[in-house]
Amino acid sequence: MAEGDREPLARAGTLREALRALLPPTKEELTLQLGERVERSVVRLLREAVELFCGGRGGECLQASEAILDYSWEKLNTGPWRDVHRDWRRVYAFGCLLKAVCLCEEPGDAGAVAAALRVCDMGLLMGAAILGDILTKVAAVLQAHLPSGKRPAPGPAQEQPHEKKARHDRVWIPDVRSERTVPRLRCPSLQHFRKHFLVPGRPVILEGVADQWPCMKKWSLEYIQDVAGCRTVPVEVGSRYTDEEWSQTLMTVNEFISKYIRDEPRDVGYLAQHQLFDQIPELKRDISIPDYCCLGDGDEEEITINAWFGPQGTVSPLHQDPQQNFLVQVTGRKYIRLYSPQESEALYPHDTHLLHNTSQVDVENPDLEKFPKFAEAPFLSCILSPGEILFIPVKYWHYVRALDLSFSVSFWWS
Amino acid sequence: MAEERRGSWFGFGFCGFGQALGSGRGRQVHSPEPLQTPGEGADVCRVSASWSYTAFVTRGGRLELSGSAGCAAGGCRDAWASEALLVVLRAGPGRGAGTELQAWAPGSALSGEPLWAHTVGPEAEGEDAPGGEPQAGALPLLPGGRAYVSPRPPFYSPLAPELRARRLELGAEHALLLDEAGQVFSWGQGRHGQLGHGTLEAELEPRPLEALQGVPMAEVAAGGWHSVCVSETGDIYIWGWNDSGQLALPSRSLAEVGKAAAGEASGLKEDGCDVRTAEGESGGLAPFIAIQPFPALLDLPPGTDAVKASCGSRHTAVVTRTGELYTWGWGKYGQLGHKDTSSLDRPRRVEYFVDKRLQVRAVSCGPWNTYVYAVEKAEG
Repeated sequence: MAEGDREPLARAGTLREALRALLPPTKEELTLQLGERVERSVVRLLREAVELFCGGRGGECLQASEAILDYSWEKLNTGPWRDVHRDWRRVYAFGCLLKAVCLCEEPGDAGAVAAALRVCDMGLLMGAAILGDILTKVAAVLQAHLPSGKRPAPGPAQEQPHEKKARHDRVWIPDVRSERTVPRLRCPSLQHFRKHFLVPGRPVILEGVADQWPCMKKWSLEYIQDVAGCRTVPVEVGSRYTDEEWSQTLMTVNEFISKYIRDEPRDVGYLAQHQLFDQIPELKRDISIPDYCCLGDGDEEEITINAWFGPQGTVSPLHQDPQQNFLVQVTGRKYIRLYSPQESEALYPHDTHLLHNTSQVDVENPDLEKFPKFAEAPFLSCILSPGEILFIPVKYWHYVRALDLSFSVSFWWS
Repeated sequence: MAEERRGSWFGFGFCGFGQALGSGRGRQVHSPEPLQTPGEGADVCRVSASWSYTAFVTRGGRLELSGSAGCAAGGCRDAWASEALLVVLRAGPGRGAGTELQAWAPGSALSGEPLWAHTVGPEAEGEDAPGGEPQAGALPLLPGGRAYVSPRPPFYSPLAPELRARRLELGAEHALLLDEAGQVFSWGQGRHGQLGHGTLEAELEPRPLEALQGVPMAEVAAGGWHSVCVSETGDIYIWGWNDSGQLALPSRSLAEVGKAAAGEASGLKEDGCDVRTAEGESGGLAPFIAIQPFPALLDLPPGTDAVKASCGSRHTAVVTRTGELYTWGWGKYGQLGHKDTSSLDRPRRVEYFVDKRLQVRAVSCGPWNTYVYAVEKAEG
């Protein structure tokens, strides 16, 4: 309770100062360079909001920021996500910035700081970087100013995955000895990897490459909650994304852990395919980029790093991705099956545009009447364990099921 | 046989740019207020509201803009407002000279040259309803039904003549068309189910809604990501996105807001009740619906027939045969007119008009606000 010793007002005062210190010094610099796509009325409203903020009219600035957020949110939901113009995402982020700072201007309750942090996270999730990635910095300041009571007391230390009480009586662990397994190599040279696996597009498990990364020792539930507990993240709810019942929602990491990992979860929740390490740079220090990525064409900045964190039983249906993938296992084990792109016909991809990279077949319970060719399709499989990296070549079909509470990190590169 | 009285316009919802909406004070109006219609004795017959400004067209052909854009101009038969473009149908100079379609930048105050102009044939004149009642504007459908305008490229799109288009409405990423026979067509993006064909796939060309074939429609209305149509017998069909309850179907986010509010109020911790389901009207459990990809029949109170409909970004407004107004959907800016900013996933009557003994005759929604035309109830 050491942090609670200071007067609430004094603490709010330092928060306000810390936030103001992050903002550009002049009103003129608190602005965005926007292209033609953003309508004049929006530009005008942005200017007005900044005027109100600099004029100390926080309440009115909040109103204007809400309108900015609501309008740009509509643009973010118009058309396919990849076609959303970056400027709209920047406007959205700017709205989040103003709203978050305004929420903290008054010496308000602790709820205001948590609300402001949530707004920042929305800006990080849906917006685009503005003003030198200011939202990341604001989020870090807000996180540091959350009253210590906001961080839940960690549960009794039992973070080893196999000591965790199994949620289901039985987890089906496939007998991979009866299946063709993915070859394993210990620290192959760059040339060897390129010649025998990257170029011909063959999967392989790399051992001894990631096993010394800090995450392997550090990432317990307790640690994750400590570093990221109050941050808002996207969670997928439902057995698999091809189900009708499947949905995506937002919640804090603490809420995710208590609802979908700790407390006898009723549904499957999966913190999946989320660029957590852009949102929370502190976690990024616990991982590295596999050297083998330099064999690709792209820059290091173009590598997409995703977190995959969920309870035993999460399933990613059989699908293919348009980039090379290094899947690094940090905590827990995953059963993974791999089918070559040459077998695509036997995997019966959906014919809709949205799901054309996803197979219709339920890999571990296939309907062979409906999908007869699937039975004969050759595959490789493995149980990926902590410290190991699975190389999934571009367009290689893969199916993943978590056998334990699991945390994986994937690197998509070209 | 009561005498038809001249009505007037009312407005409620977002007015953060000072667009004429009742008193125009503050950024939002939560309950209907009489419009300070520009000009004296102005007879507004068309209202087209964009996000930051509203266009009014009077019977005398006068166009007035209010909000982020302001101007007045004459010789206008119809106007259609969007953020990027103000489209105006102007009578050509001299008689029988046909009409000109003009597209202006909203801030241009209609001075100088339009961004582009297109001469329209003199067919389909005289669109005003008997009694001088305001009609839903024909724009963005052009007179003659051969083409329509859009705020996004291509700005001018022809329509196949065999479509015999009667009405056309544009959403954020889709289009709805009503033909002479009462058949509804849709095309554009379908990710939110707004096309009504039962999938989330896009359609490049107008495709008829098979689910509605055989039910002649009188009206169509397009919201941001949802679609509404009204049958000739007064039934409402609705489909698309329901994230804010705009389809009047149970919405998860509204239920969660309600639960949070209830939890705070009573101080009780949230129970383990299934968040996935909602209390149906009869007490049964109804599933939440985020997307309705094919038309659903809406239940208004028994005995009510709908005659008009209009949609904002995420709210819906319906006028009944007996002159009542029902609204539902996103309410954050007071656009539902129920004196608060709650969103609703069930239709609710706007009591203001009942209290003032007004009969609603027309409704026109902007993205975040609602304009209503009503007449005093005839005496005796």
